[in-house]
Amino acid sequence: MDNLLHTIMLMLEGTQITLEIFCITLVLSLPIGLLAALGRISDVKPLSLLMEFYVWVMRGTPLMLQLLFVYFALPMVGIMLSDLAAALLAFTLNYAAYFAEIFRAGIQSIGRGQYEAAKTLGMTYPQTMRRIIIPQMLRHVLPPISNETINLVKDTSLIYILAMNDLLRVARTIVQREFDMTPFVVAGVFYLIMTFVLTWAFKRLEAHYAKYDQ
Amino acid sequence: MQNMTNDNIMLKMQNIHKSFGSLEVLKGIDLSVAKGDVLAIIGPSGSGKSTMLRCINRLEEIDSGSIEIKGRMLVRETADGEAEYVDEAESRDVLSCTGMVFQQFNLFPHMTVLQNLLEAPVQVKKRSAAEVRPEAEELLRKVGLFDKRDCYPGRLSGGQQQRVAIARALAMNPDIMLFDEPTSALDPELTGEVLKTMRELAAEHMTMVVVTHEMAFAREAASHVMFMADGVIVEQGSPGEFFASPKQERTIAFLQNML
Ligand SMILES: Nc1ncnc2c1ncn2[C@@H]1O[C@H](COP(=O)(O)OP(=O)(O)O)[C@@H](O)[C@H]1O
Ligand SMILES: [Mg+2]
Repeated sequence: MDNLLHTIMLMLEGTQITLEIFCITLVLSLPIGLLAALGRISDVKPLSLLMEFYVWVMRGTPLMLQLLFVYFALPMVGIMLSDLAAALLAFTLNYAAYFAEIFRAGIQSIGRGQYEAAKTLGMTYPQTMRRIIIPQMLRHVLPPISNETINLVKDTSLIYILAMNDLLRVARTIVQREFDMTPFVVAGVFYLIMTFVLTWAFKRLEAHYAKYDQ
Repeated sequence: MQNMTNDNIMLKMQNIHKSFGSLEVLKGIDLSVAKGDVLAIIGPSGSGKSTMLRCINRLEEIDSGSIEIKGRMLVRETADGEAEYVDEAESRDVLSCTGMVFQQFNLFPHMTVLQNLLEAPVQVKKRSAAEVRPEAEELLRKVGLFDKRDCYPGRLSGGQQQRVAIARALAMNPDIMLFDEPTSALDPELTGEVLKTMRELAAEHMTMVVVTHEMAFAREAASHVMFMADGVIVEQGSPGEFFASPKQERTIAFLQNML
C-alpha cells in the first residue's frame, strides 16, 4: 500500500511535465494555427502557398521525426534549446498545422451570405473575420479540435525519447526497477483522467454554444 | 423618374454590362432612381435582377458602364470602355448610404437580435453601444420585435428574421435600401408581415429598389415598376400604366403568368 502511494507520488511528478507540455503546446498552437489558416485562405498567393507547404510538411511526416529533428539537428546548426523548449517547439509547430487545417475547413464552411451581409453593413474584411466569421467557425470546429486536443494528451508521451521524465517515462523506470506492472496501469488511469476532464470540458463548451442553435 | 433635378438623384446607372465568364447577364442597363422613389423590379428568374441589384453595392463588379450614388462616382467608364472603380476607401464611403436585405436574411446567428443591430454602428461607425442602443430598440419596436431583442435569430420565424434584417440595415441610417426578393424564402403566411414593414418604410419616403415577385406590392407600394428579361430592361412605368396597359409582348406574357 505504501509502495503504491509512493509510486503514485512519483508519477504525479511525471504528470506535471506531461501537463506542462500539453498546456503550453495548446496555448501556443491554437492561435498560431488560426493565423496559419488565415494565411492559407488569404489572397496573397506566396503567403497562402507557404502555409499550404507548412501544413503539408507537418502533417506528412511523423511527429516523432519532427521531435528528433528539432532535438538533434538544431544544435548542429548552433541553435541550442533546452529539452523542454525543443519539445515545445516541435509539438507547437506540429499541432498548429493540424489546427490550421481544422480552422481553414471551419472558415470555409461559413456561407457567403455572412460575408455579404457584413460587407453591405460597411464592415471591413478584418472586422468581418474577427466579429462574424471566426466566432461562428470556432463553434463549428469544437468537435475536431476536441479530438486533436485529446490526441495531444497522448502524444505528449513521445517526449519519452528525449529523456524527459514525463508520466510514461517515470512509469517505465519504476517498472524496470521493481518488475511490477502496476505503474503502467496507474499511467493508463492518469491518461484516462486527463482525457476524461478534456472531453467533459469540451462538452460543456459545445453546450454553451448550442444556445444559438435552432 | 422623369423631371429629376440633379440633386435628388439617388442612384444613376448607365450602360451597365456584366458577364459571368461567357454568359452575358446584364446587356446595357440604364437606370435612375430619385429620392423617395420605390422602384420595383420584376421579371423571370435568371433575367439578371439580382445581379443588377448586387452591382449597385459592389457585391458584383461591372465590366463596363458607370454608377453614381447620391451624386458620387462609384465606378466610371474609361475612354476604352472599361469600368474603373474608385479606391477602396472612397468606395466604402460612397456605399455607406446603402443598405441591403437579402432573400436568405443573413442575420448573424451567434448574436442576439439586438446585437445584430448594434454590430455595424458600433464596429463601423465607432459609436458607443450605449448611444446606439435606444435607436436600435426603437427600430425593433417599429418592426414589432422589441420583445425578441434578446433572442438568437435561430429561434425566430423566417418573417421575424427578415424584419430583424430590415431593422439591422436601417440601424446604419441608409438613404437607399436594396431588397433582393425579401419574401421569396418565406412561407406564404409570413410574407404579409415583411411586406407591411416595407410598405411602412415606403410611406416614410425611404428610397427603395426592390426585386420582387409580389405583384400586389409592386402595384400598390411602388412608385415605379420595371420589367427585366434576358439582361435588358424591357419596359418600365408607373404601376398604374404598367399593370393596366403593358405594351411589350414579353411583359404581357409575364404578367399573364403571374396573375
Ligand atoms: N456568381 C455567378 N457566377 C456565375 N453565374 C451567375 C452568378 N450569379 C448569377 N449568375 C447567372 O446569371 C444569370 C442571372 O442571375 P440572377 O441575376 O441571379 O437572375 P435573377 O435574380 O433575375 O433570377 C443566371 O443565369 C445565373 O445563373
Ligand atoms: Mg434573384
